[in-house]
Amino acid sequence: MKLLPLLTALLCSVSSALSAPTLHLFTWADYINPDLVTRFEEANDCKVVIDTFDSAESMYAKLKAGADGYDLVFPTSYMQKVMQAEGMLLKLDPAKVPNIKNIDPAFLKRLPDATMETAVPYMVSYNVIAVRADKLPNVKPSWASFARTDLKKRVTLLDDMRETLGAGLKSLGYSLNTRDEKELAAARDVVIGWKKHIAKFDNEGYKSGIDSGEFHLVQGYSGDLWQVTQENSKVKILVPIEGTSIACDEMAILKGSKQAALAHQMIDFLCDPAIAAENMQWTGYYSPNPAALKLVEPDFLKNPAVSLPPDIQAKCELIEDLGTDLAKYTKVWDEIKAAK
Amino acid sequence: MSRSRFPTLLTILVLLFFHAPLVVLILNSFNTSRFGGSWEGFTWKWYDLLWKNAPVWKAFFISLKIAAAATLTSVVLGTFAALALHWYRGGLQRTHGWLVGLPLLAPDVLMGISLLAIFASTGVPLGFGSIWIAHTTFCLSYVTMVMLARLQDFDFSLMEAAADLGANRWQAFSRVLLPLLWPGILGGALLAFSLSIDDFVITFFVSGAGSTTLPILISSMMKTSRNLPIINALSTLLIAGTFLIAALSYRLSRPPQS
Amino acid sequence: MNPAVAVSPSRSRLPEWWLTLPSLLWLGAFFAIPLVLIVVLSFKTADLRGGLGPGWSLDAVRNLTEAPYPELAWRTFRVSALSTVYCLCLALPVAWCLARATPRIGQLLLLLIVVPFFTNFLIRVFAWKSLLHPEGPLSAWLRNWHLIGADTQLLNNSGSVMLVMVYTNLPFAIFPLYAATQKFDFTLLEAARDLGASPTRAFFRIFLPGIRQGLLSAAFMVFVCTMGQYVVPQVIGGTGDEMLGAKIAQRALNDRNLPQACALAAALMLAGLLPWLVAKLWQLSRRPRISTVSTVAPSTPANVYPA
Repeated sequence: MKLLPLLTALLCSVSSALSAPTLHLFTWADYINPDLVTRFEEANDCKVVIDTFDSAESMYAKLKAGADGYDLVFPTSYMQKVMQAEGMLLKLDPAKVPNIKNIDPAFLKRLPDATMETAVPYMVSYNVIAVRADKLPNVKPSWASFARTDLKKRVTLLDDMRETLGAGLKSLGYSLNTRDEKELAAARDVVIGWKKHIAKFDNEGYKSGIDSGEFHLVQGYSGDLWQVTQENSKVKILVPIEGTSIACDEMAILKGSKQAALAHQMIDFLCDPAIAAENMQWTGYYSPNPAALKLVEPDFLKNPAVSLPPDIQAKCELIEDLGTDLAKYTKVWDEIKAAK
Repeated sequence: MSRSRFPTLLTILVLLFFHAPLVVLILNSFNTSRFGGSWEGFTWKWYDLLWKNAPVWKAFFISLKIAAAATLTSVVLGTFAALALHWYRGGLQRTHGWLVGLPLLAPDVLMGISLLAIFASTGVPLGFGSIWIAHTTFCLSYVTMVMLARLQDFDFSLMEAAADLGANRWQAFSRVLLPLLWPGILGGALLAFSLSIDDFVITFFVSGAGSTTLPILISSMMKTSRNLPIINALSTLLIAGTFLIAALSYRLSRPPQS
Repeated sequence: MNPAVAVSPSRSRLPEWWLTLPSLLWLGAFFAIPLVLIVVLSFKTADLRGGLGPGWSLDAVRNLTEAPYPELAWRTFRVSALSTVYCLCLALPVAWCLARATPRIGQLLLLLIVVPFFTNFLIRVFAWKSLLHPEGPLSAWLRNWHLIGADTQLLNNSGSVMLVMVYTNLPFAIFPLYAATQKFDFTLLEAARDLGASPTRAFFRIFLPGIRQGLLSAAFMVFVCTMGQYVVPQVIGGTGDEMLGAKIAQRALNDRNLPQACALAAALMLAGLLPWLVAKLWQLSRRPRISTVSTVAPSTPANVYPA
């Protein structure tokens, strides 16, 4: 029985022509419950092939340079805005995706594509702090905690310009999408101050790092850290009171897609409350689907992305595309990286 | 030469050095902990999840096939290139030499993007073919470098001798030249294979829909997957499998007891 | 040293072209053209929407002299040069053993060397993180023996970066050296000893020049591979270990500044070629007057091969 997937994989990789229509997804690894994928394949008599990328930027670079063959992509919201402006996305046919009415309208207002013209929100995560409560008690849920001097370099910050600079901006009360160079300079100095106490900038290693005690204080994404807390009770998630960044991954159909109808079906499928609830619990990320939230296990409601207090929610911002002002941030980030 | 123990000692140390992370890898494939930070108990669950995970196997077989194909072409092309560079001097070989040496220097990200742009604009379909082309291109340089090392001070008079003794070109090639070049070919092939099976930056850009290779999958799994240890399980199986095949061929190739 | 090929002009060109064309054409199509593209793109303006702006500009090239590039370049060069030296030092004894071993032991050794590299690169690098973990057994053992302080970390510093860099690049040094050492005539060393040379003298005057091309290939490969590397410093290193490769990727992807990335890459390639030039000059100046190994002028490749 267990050999079956193996043999199927072998056969699939050998044959190139498949009789059933194939829907190509381009997304993060393990970002969709494989049981749901199988269910979709059976219900629609098709095959779903998932290809993965490891950053929204490389996904965009690849599509921009001319790669094709993908139908449904999962860009982060600021990337989606750029892609829409570049004319890379197909306009959605609302009649084919009735379930999108389940998406939280209050959340939609924050998005660049608030009317879901070309994209539908998929999963949301917040940029949060995680701490080993057994090694570092009394850590305030604030970005200022990174300025503590007793951290012994067992700290990491994200190696992400928008997230880390954003944390600096938020700690000073500024918007993390500011275009003001003075504010950016002030945030730069704050982060340079934090840099003295950190071990490194890290995007992947913080999860196992905080779990194993290599690090005592990390900046990371709520979905990943939620999974760590499920496994390790010594890890606590703190949502900074100054507010933080919201990352929303969206589903969008590429213009050249040959399976547009099937892609619409997939979007509709994933917005179904029962399906979304199952998906949320499997991935650990939060889907802005209130009807789905009613169907999740009570334990999941403790997920910081879900249980965010409204006053902090109000201070949180979505990362926006900066257009030409991206250069201002790049300059400041370079200075931070180069500072001793 | 004096039977100095020093090289042997150092070689053993280097081998230990090479295998140290493997021990961690293998241990973590049995570790209950998802994040591999600390030992949390013995489990087979990652192996169990691996069996059921068709995408990982699919990616693995795609990687294997491409690596095999790329190794073959790059060894053939690389041997020719090395022979040319070794035998001849002059303008053509100077250009040839630069062309062979430069791919080692070109950063992956940009090579990937520019190759993709060229493929896209000339209508080359993205898939196995495009990945194979990209891999052969960079493996070629490595194979050539290894072969050149082999060819230094190579005594080609042996070829003359073979001809004098009545061997035709093919016999001279297969019975004389090839066996002498063998360590270079083997070294080059092994290097090319390990490079191809590990490449993810260039491969990411030139791969088509449906041709995600294992390194691409792994680099994405590092970010978002909750089941990363299944890769440790896969690696353990790979290591075990390679040693098994090697042990088998060792027994089968045992020289006849004289 | 390969003496000049003494063949008649009319016959010499054809075999040379036959041997050269396959790789020349392949690389021409799939490397030279992308390379030209990269160089050309360094002179375009950037459109921060990820594409290229209209018109041309020298900005990307001019920026190369400003921070942070010079410091990054120096650090990258230093790390590459050092790791090349370490790799060569470690690879030489391994190649020696491989060459001196019986064929079966030799194959076993090769297998042992190569098997770790069939597992995935990223996974291996992350496995090093586990090994060097501050709470792991190795750190605990070292602390027990007072070799490191209570707060010293084995990770996230340039030492650990160098360690893992050497680890990842050692095969690039071993294979060419193995190919070269395998056919080295070790009886020459015995002869040297018989003539009164000390082992060290024999090593430096006979062995090393005898595997000259292997050393050059190995050094070149390790050096250029380390120059472009960025994953190891990112995963293993601390805040001060970033190398040039990371900046190139950052510019190309996150900063959507393709021209700047291309300019950096072109500069990197030029810089990487410098040691090769130096090595070539050294090679030419050290050309022995009398060959240490007999080499019959291959005046007959045209006759035997390949035609």
